[in-house]
Amino acid sequence: MSSPLDSARPSEIPFRNPGWAGNTGQFELTEAEVRGDEYIGARALDGGHPSGAPAFPFMLVERNPDAPLFEGPYKTRFEKILTRYPDVQGALIPVLALAQEVRGHVSPSTLQEIAQLTGIPEAEVRGVASFYTMLNKRPVGRFLIQVCTNISCNLCGGDEVLHAFLEYTGTELGETSEGGVFTVTEVECLAACGFPTAVQINSRYYENVTPAGVPALLDRLRTEAR
Amino acid sequence: MAYPYVHEKEVQIVSRGWGKPRTRTIDGWRELDGYVGFRKALEMGRAAVIEEVKKSGLRGRGGAGFPTGLKWSFMPKEKRGPHYLCCNADESEPGTFKDRELLRWTPHQLVEGCLIGALAIQADHVYIYCRGEFFEANQVLARAVEEAYAAGLAGANILGSGVSIDVTVHQGAGAYICGEETALMSSLEGRRGLPRVKPPFPAAVGAFGRPTTINNVETLCAIPHIVRNGGEWYRQWGTEKSPGTKLFCVSGHVRRPGNYELPLGFPMNELIYDVCGGFEEGRKLKAVIPGGASVPILSADECLACCLDYEGVQKSGSMLGCASVIVMDDRTNIVKQVRRMVEFFAHESCGQCTPCREGTTWLSRILRRIEGGKGTEEDLETLLALGTQMTATTICVLSDSAAVPVASSIQKFRDDYLALIRRGEAVGVV
Ligand SMILES: Cc1cc2nc3c(=O)[nH]c(=O)nc-3n(C[C@H](O)[C@H](O)[C@H](O)COP(=O)(O)O)c2cc1C
Ligand code: SF4
Ligand code: FES
Repeated sequence: MSSPLDSARPSEIPFRNPGWAGNTGQFELTEAEVRGDEYIGARALDGGHPSGAPAFPFMLVERNPDAPLFEGPYKTRFEKILTRYPDVQGALIPVLALAQEVRGHVSPSTLQEIAQLTGIPEAEVRGVASFYTMLNKRPVGRFLIQVCTNISCNLCGGDEVLHAFLEYTGTELGETSEGGVFTVTEVECLAACGFPTAVQINSRYYENVTPAGVPALLDRLRTEAR
Repeated sequence: MAYPYVHEKEVQIVSRGWGKPRTRTIDGWRELDGYVGFRKALEMGRAAVIEEVKKSGLRGRGGAGFPTGLKWSFMPKEKRGPHYLCCNADESEPGTFKDRELLRWTPHQLVEGCLIGALAIQADHVYIYCRGEFFEANQVLARAVEEAYAAGLAGANILGSGVSIDVTVHQGAGAYICGEETALMSSLEGRRGLPRVKPPFPAAVGAFGRPTTINNVETLCAIPHIVRNGGEWYRQWGTEKSPGTKLFCVSGHVRRPGNYELPLGFPMNELIYDVCGGFEEGRKLKAVIPGGASVPILSADECLACCLDYEGVQKSGSMLGCASVIVMDDRTNIVKQVRRMVEFFAHESCGQCTPCREGTTWLSRILRRIEGGKGTEEDLETLLALGTQMTATTICVLSDSAAVPVASSIQKFRDDYLALIRRGEAVGVV
């Protein structure tokens, strides 16, 4: 059997994210319209209304593991999160996500600080953090590439897409490429099964990704990283 | 207007605004009669709302198909402290991708459904537990909630009615098991997402120890339409026992995969060949999983006669679940796909119960061995025996779910397993 990578020649294939319906012939939509960019608008640094203020663990500006926890607008967001739950423990997971947004991952010392800050026992904080896959217990690359290889994507070639990412980034599964740019991992169903293969890169979904489309996608990310 | 393809046989109720960016905004939603249902509910009062939902026969869209009106009526009538409504937006069952579209296209539909639900069960606070990976949906939803607050539709003393309902978008952190209702509550409380033994049921002791109801996104999205138009109106679609419309998430080897909103009871055959455009040239149907990774697999023959409603699919030997129809053509290597599903359950098991924690790992190891051409015929018996031990012995049904694809595929595709065992060759290639 010929490798699906044979047909992939970098740069020849222009990158597009076909995961919006602009190209099904039944909807006339731009990618921004599908993603709701205009509706969301620019995110207020202090998180906006206290009812939501979601954290963005991968939209890191600094990704500084030594940054102070929760200063300035982050402090405001921390305080808003606390108001949303009947007790402090309820706020723990959003607070962990916020810490990851600031520091890039939740290190043992970060967990310790959160324990002190919230008064929750450190063992409990650690236990909770270790349960959830989106909380990175160790540093990840600038781009965390998570390829869905679950059944619907797999039926349409999810494994091949994963291999293409590994090959073109030159990394091993779960490891970070040289220079800390890419970390490639397998992920369970991303709930985009009708658009196989679904790939999540940092906070963003890429849909209908094929092995042939991988080089162009990576090129685009490399440009962004510069 | 389901997305990303539309078909003329669809009935657009909850998917009406999809693909139209304007529907996201509160004004766009109002143009589609948005918040009319909520206003009506405020006038009707909670008991009448529950009656109307009961009349509609709406059944929970999160998988179990439990009647929603009945579920709401389990909440205590006398209030002795806070009540909570949790919206389950933790969609992560393989094959399911409807809630994400509901969240990103029609966030106000969900907010309105949540407000009506909260009114019906006297909840002070709605938590929308949204899957952490859905960053975009999370933002869209947070913005919609913000708009609802600004319009006086959420918060204190809503529209001067004296009713106060807070709405919070809670972002998950990545764990399939948090979709299970008791695990969702544990996770919302800031703990590990461990399912709890029932009873006590959530309506008695739920999130933060208070009476709580958990509803799926699609369930709550149907509510505004039912309240606005009446329960009888909803019954014009679907069957007697499964009324209304349902989003069918079709994925796998069809030409036009996607979400389609169809009346319950729709024939599977028509869904695959007409609505989704059938298969690539020269390919034919091999198997279908009609309700996501945790339901039995159906062979091609069983699909032909299958009608897609809760009872119909059961009659064909499977379950409707969340109507996540995964279609496989004759290229499919069933053993590999079953192994992949089992590995999913092994990864997502919370680890509390031994049959689940150990069983899922054993199943996946044996399946890997068979897939690698090193299996024996006794392995099949071992798999089946393991599956039996994993069924009805654990706190939640994840363990049962993991055993289901194995047992049903060995029963229906034994030859595929035997080919791998005897000749070391897979029947399909994918
Ligand atoms: C392992 C497991 C995972 C589940 N995942 C989800 C899910 O992702 N979304 C959902 O709505 N329901 C899920 N459910 C079903 C919920 O427990 C619950 O029945 C449902 O949210 C109730 O809502 P409904 O009555 O509106 O259907 C899951 C159940 C189990 C056992
Ligand atoms: S059956 Fe599995 S997932 Fe469910 S509670 Fe037990 S160990 Fe956890
Ligand atoms: S199986 Fe890949 S997104 Fe669901």
